[in-house]
Amino acid sequence: MAEEILEMKNIIKDFPGVRALDHVNFKLEKGEIIALVGENGAGKSTLMKVLSGVWPYPTYEGDIFLDDEIIRFKNTREAEEAGIGIIHQELNLLPDLSVAENIFLDKQPLNKFGGIKWNEMYYEAEKVLSRLNMDIDPRMDLGDLTVGKQQMVEIAKALSLDTRILVFDEPTSALTDSEIKELFRVIKDLKADGVSMIYISHKMDEIEKIADSVVVLRDGATIGDKINIQDVTIEEIISRMVGRDIDNLFPKQSFERGEKTLEVKNISIADPFNPEKYLVEDVSFSAYKGEILGISGLMGSGRTEVVNAIFGVYGKKREGDIFLNGKKLNIQSPADAINNGIALITEDRKELGLLLDKNLTINMTLPSLEKFSTKLVMDHHAEKSTAEKYVDELNIKTPGLDVFVEKLSGGNQQKVVIGKWLITESDVLILDEPTRGIDVGAKTEVYRLMNQLVEKGVTVIMISSELPEIMGMSDRILVMSEGVKTAVLEREEADEETIMKYATGNKGVE
Amino acid sequence: MKKFIKSNGTFVALIFLIIALSFLSPSFLSSRNLTNLVRQVTINGIIAVGMTMVILLAGIDLSVGSIVGLAAVVVTLLMQSGLSMWLAIIITLAAVGGVFGFFNGFMSAKFDIHPFIITLGVMTIARGIGLVLTQGVSVPVRNMTFAGIGSGYIPKLPSLIILVIALVLGIFASIKDSVEIKNGEKVKNKAKLTGRIILTASGFAAGFLIFIGYKGIPVPVAIFSVIVLGGVYTLRKTKFGRKLYAIGGNEKVAWLSGINIMRTKTMVFVITGVLSAASGILLASRLNGASPNLGTGFELDAIASVIIGGTSFMGGIGTITGTVIGAIIIGVINNGMSLLGINTFYQMIVKGFIIILAVMIDVLNRRETA
Repeated sequence: MAEEILEMKNIIKDFPGVRALDHVNFKLEKGEIIALVGENGAGKSTLMKVLSGVWPYPTYEGDIFLDDEIIRFKNTREAEEAGIGIIHQELNLLPDLSVAENIFLDKQPLNKFGGIKWNEMYYEAEKVLSRLNMDIDPRMDLGDLTVGKQQMVEIAKALSLDTRILVFDEPTSALTDSEIKELFRVIKDLKADGVSMIYISHKMDEIEKIADSVVVLRDGATIGDKINIQDVTIEEIISRMVGRDIDNLFPKQSFERGEKTLEVKNISIADPFNPEKYLVEDVSFSAYKGEILGISGLMGSGRTEVVNAIFGVYGKKREGDIFLNGKKLNIQSPADAINNGIALITEDRKELGLLLDKNLTINMTLPSLEKFSTKLVMDHHAEKSTAEKYVDELNIKTPGLDVFVEKLSGGNQQKVVIGKWLITESDVLILDEPTRGIDVGAKTEVYRLMNQLVEKGVTVIMISSELPEIMGMSDRILVMSEGVKTAVLEREEADEETIMKYATGNKGVE
Repeated sequence: MKKFIKSNGTFVALIFLIIALSFLSPSFLSSRNLTNLVRQVTINGIIAVGMTMVILLAGIDLSVGSIVGLAAVVVTLLMQSGLSMWLAIIITLAAVGGVFGFFNGFMSAKFDIHPFIITLGVMTIARGIGLVLTQGVSVPVRNMTFAGIGSGYIPKLPSLIILVIALVLGIFASIKDSVEIKNGEKVKNKAKLTGRIILTASGFAAGFLIFIGYKGIPVPVAIFSVIVLGGVYTLRKTKFGRKLYAIGGNEKVAWLSGINIMRTKTMVFVITGVLSAASGILLASRLNGASPNLGTGFELDAIASVIIGGTSFMGGIGTITGTVIGAIIIGVINNGMSLLGINTFYQMIVKGFIIILAVMIDVLNRRETA
């Protein structure tokens, strides 16, 4: 048995109304690489935040032992000094400073007048970078490096602190294939040096390649013990991740599939920050009357980008064609999409869906101003009676039509957004995470409404990161991974394991 | 009542200011003084109507003062060269106001540059062109009809008729506005109706006492009133107005709701440019000529009126009526302090404090409701 370096014992972390971590136990040995896996919201990030002092003691319960000694960090700095470093998904660097300045951001070597000893700093930076076998000039501006090299700088920054435990949070989501290879080489070198690592990822193929063992989190609890990677199959890991029952939360109604309405062909979106990479690559699919098309995929899989592309958000940067009822559409902006009968309920209702300091009526009629206006004058009465009609139909709980929407609850705000797009009477309604952050009752109401729309002949497309929701409401499920379409599954053939398999990068045939 | 004071704070402040000044200086309330006061307000007020729209978009327009100066110079030179008055005015509105306004709006919207920078550039450019055209000296104009625009009056009888028509229309609009829809049925909001009618009636009374008591309605005041009504109407009743508030509230949400951000922004700057040019023409007419330095610093008074009038610098919140009250407050302060014999240098200091005070009250109010 190798030497144990870290143990987290019975960790409990509560947020208002939710237990994010429930008696989590976690052990890490010297030089070991543990893959920490679980669905979105399973508690992986929370656990790492407890470990790294983002959530200081005593905001959590339980004990953390480092080298058999109890440690209780007050802040992230103490964790760093104890040798725990995190490489975040979003890099934590300053692009306008040099590589060396980034590595030694708040600990530059100083002379006795408080000036920076530049030569010494560059020399030290070179030393750390050479430990990674990376050929990076520490004098360069960080912003001139590729994303992959920037990540190496982030790793070098962690190593400059004598880090013994290094956490990677989805490190490959912004990297190209060759950059991923380079990263894995560095990880193996560090392992040989005795650094222990925790590797958070959704990508099963990576986990198989790099990890020694796997810990599965689900709903804030560890499922089973730590398992050696050789003793387990990917299918077993996935079933541990998702294994729960779907109850009758989903009032799914099935209708006969009608004619093809929306068709997209070869949609691609280049990554604005990394021209070698695509956010969405060559995606084609069709949607039909009388069905709900579900789009599934993990975070960063490109599912939101695909529907944004259809809605004109990327303007001229979108490649590929969009057809509606056989007619090719020229969509360069959201206005074009709306005029062609396509509506998009965005994921982030507070930032992208609502004018929070405006009243309910103004919010609901915003995309349909033409309907309530002659050449010059708006018909305020027609506007209000339409808003009132939808408040009744959607069962929106509000003291009145003049209430600022920021005063409404999350579920009612979401209904206002839905009402806003129903008023446009579009042929295609795309819903991006329509039930995020709203309570169970409101969720069911949203599902019922989707049924009604399908019955009326609206083509409904729903993105969701919750598998039960996708499986409960969709007639067909399009699965995406890393910007490409990996499968289109019929309702009958879609179970959680199959969807997860395709969402984690396995390419299937249509 | 408490609620009324809170939501109409600047209006209440204006009333107090007027009451205080009428005690301090007996000549303040004379029809003659008030007529002059209102006429002085119009020059800044016309610009401030446009500035309200710009600030509603969370923008700013620093070029208005220079456009005032250039428009005054151009209209004067065009008339000197023998062009008829109306042609000269129309060309100036379009070529100075329209073109520079379009440039301001288009450049900032298309290339996503903050309008502060574009209009700062245009501020210098327009001023420079004015200096080049005049070689830096004042240019006179001798045209009695033109002079009549800036300093003339509508005679008393027609003025009275206009005021009565305004009263009737105002009451009519109040009745129409007070109808609300509740559960699909039209209901009259009695409190709102009474409030509106009282305001309309006191407006009529004030207009009667001020203008009919002196020489009638000054022509610039009539023009200003039409512009204000047009502005209020645009913001309250048209799609365009709604789009402005939406963009100011959250540009991204507005864009995702299908609003053409670039067109709306450009239009707002064109309106502001044309209104500034109109203000410059009025000024030239009143002075019977133009100096290339006319309008220097006018952008500050216009911005101050908008801010005192309660428009949020963050965009999305504000009204033209508020701005008009703001402009009148600035006018009253200038006028009152002159009457009291206070040196203009002190007036600047006082004005500065009032701007800061107005914004502070606004911020504190908002924090309380949040």
